[in-house]
Amino acid sequence: MASREIVRYKSPARSAFSILVILFLIAFFVWTVLPLAIMLISSFKDLLDAFKLPEEGDWGGVGVMFDFEPTGAHYVELFTEKHFGLYMRNSLIASLGSAVVSVFLGSMAAYALSRAEFRGKKDLLFWIISTRMAPVVAVMVPLYVIFRSSGLVGTLPGLILAYTTFNLPFAIWILKGFFDNVPYAIEEAAQCDGANRWQALRMIMPLVAPGVAAFIVLCVLFGWNDFLFASIIGSGGAKTLPVATAELVQPVKIQWGSIMAAGVITTVPMMFLGFLIRRYMVTGLTMGAVRE
Amino acid sequence: MAVNATHREPPEQTAYRGVRRVDYVPQLFNNQPARFYLMWMLLPAVLLLAAISLYPFVWLIYMSLHEVQLAPGKSDLWVGVDNFTRLFSDKNFARGWVTLFKYSALCLAVEITLGVLVAIILNNSRLEKLFITIFLMPMMMAPVVAGFLYMFLYNGTFGWYFWLLRSLGVLDGGTILGNKTWAMAAVVATDVWQWTPLIALITLAGLKRVPQEQLEANMVDGAGPLRNFFSVALPNLYPFLLIAILLRFMDNFRFIDTILIMTGGGPANATKILPTYLFDVSFKFFELGRGAAIAFTLLLLTILLGLFLTKMFEDPARKIKPGGEG
Repeated sequence: MASREIVRYKSPARSAFSILVILFLIAFFVWTVLPLAIMLISSFKDLLDAFKLPEEGDWGGVGVMFDFEPTGAHYVELFTEKHFGLYMRNSLIASLGSAVVSVFLGSMAAYALSRAEFRGKKDLLFWIISTRMAPVVAVMVPLYVIFRSSGLVGTLPGLILAYTTFNLPFAIWILKGFFDNVPYAIEEAAQCDGANRWQALRMIMPLVAPGVAAFIVLCVLFGWNDFLFASIIGSGGAKTLPVATAELVQPVKIQWGSIMAAGVITTVPMMFLGFLIRRYMVTGLTMGAVRE
Repeated sequence: MAVNATHREPPEQTAYRGVRRVDYVPQLFNNQPARFYLMWMLLPAVLLLAAISLYPFVWLIYMSLHEVQLAPGKSDLWVGVDNFTRLFSDKNFARGWVTLFKYSALCLAVEITLGVLVAIILNNSRLEKLFITIFLMPMMMAPVVAGFLYMFLYNGTFGWYFWLLRSLGVLDGGTILGNKTWAMAAVVATDVWQWTPLIALITLAGLKRVPQEQLEANMVDGAGPLRNFFSVALPNLYPFLLIAILLRFMDNFRFIDTILIMTGGGPANATKILPTYLFDVSFKFFELGRGAAIAFTLLLLTILLGLFLTKMFEDPARKIKPGGEG
């Protein structure tokens, strides 16, 4: 804000205010990071250490959190006994498969929607965005019945198709916005120079390639993090990481260490991808309504 | 092929913030052969989308009018609009809507307040980059994992947040997730933790678009920072906040993973928002016909929200084009 350029005189009220602001920021920082830190730390604790808590009201006892022997046993157990390697593979195939199908078909459709004017285009776009907005549970009710009768429940292709119900409209909608930003002039110039349609299209590829790549990553993320589709449609043969994590909850004892480790395994790759496409993140998560 | 600069219609001119924009519809893409080409590019996606969304939708309507039999060999029973009329007398259905709106309103109120506050503080500060990086971390987490993480933190014997609340003396007896009020607060807190950063990011993007001249003019007129925020920055932020509200509200009933994991709708239906109820009806009791009827009402809300959202993209005064400079 412009206020930076205006000389501020120190007054008690002002310094009290800035202390409040700093405290608020620290609180927000702690509030955001603490759960993540606890998850990471707990995944390295054995069962007894994870359950250690200071006495109620004993503020000095917070150090108990760091009083443990780090053990990688939970991670080893997940990958050796609980087949998490397989579930990770399932997650990857399902989310990547759906992302590639969605972005490939989606970018073609988006290009067409961006360039052509035709009657009913608005209605078509509205249908596309409302498909994306539909509640997952509501979509799942008929999809489950259809997939059951065609034997797609519990298979990876079924899961890929299920993820495509939200990834494809997302890809079309967001990539249309992307193509809208590419000036017509490039293709016009190319065609003036004697290029045919495909060659003209190839001219703008370098401009849109980074965006297309970023939205593939975002589609992977949506699929990877999905739980509802995976638990109902993928149940049985196509278990993904979130479902496998949920299944660690057993009625007798909940294996918190394993769950936290599974959480770390599920989350860390996605955080890494998130940092990678950070520039496109807000655009992607707001359906292209907000750009940074 | 002739490249023709004449337009089929007179170009639409829009003046926005003093910038004259001429919408140019190029002839290049709007002749018969070009359109034929583009339609072929559009077709595969539209066909696939129709197969996985329109076809299920027809099925949904069919199911909502039948009593669906899942056992093989049995055929569905026609019940007419029975599934719908039964909803009127279904207490859980009405309560599901109320809880959904209560839950969303609580989430949004806290998220918007915190998000805007954080964004204003961070805007143009040295910490902006650091915080933006941190903001990404909760958002990237699978909602299921967030649900488990918070369940762990709220746990009545070894949860750190439980310990914190007890130590502060706010929580009397019982557990967090076992108490109606606290359970609601707990699921809201989880949503707030995960999605306040998104609101902050959207607001930050919006703050960057606030015209500097307006702020300066206002200051020359003697307005302080507070006045400046409310009379200049906030009006400029409205479209961004509206987008944020619509998107978050939409996601509140799109994703129910955290609630499903943490409380399953309990205790005593205190956190049973409508989609959770729908999940129970369809995939716990397997009453798919009734589920379809509930799903249908939810989809109506979706369409309503969609209308709002597409308006946001179109309205030239707001001019937030998808991927545009808005």
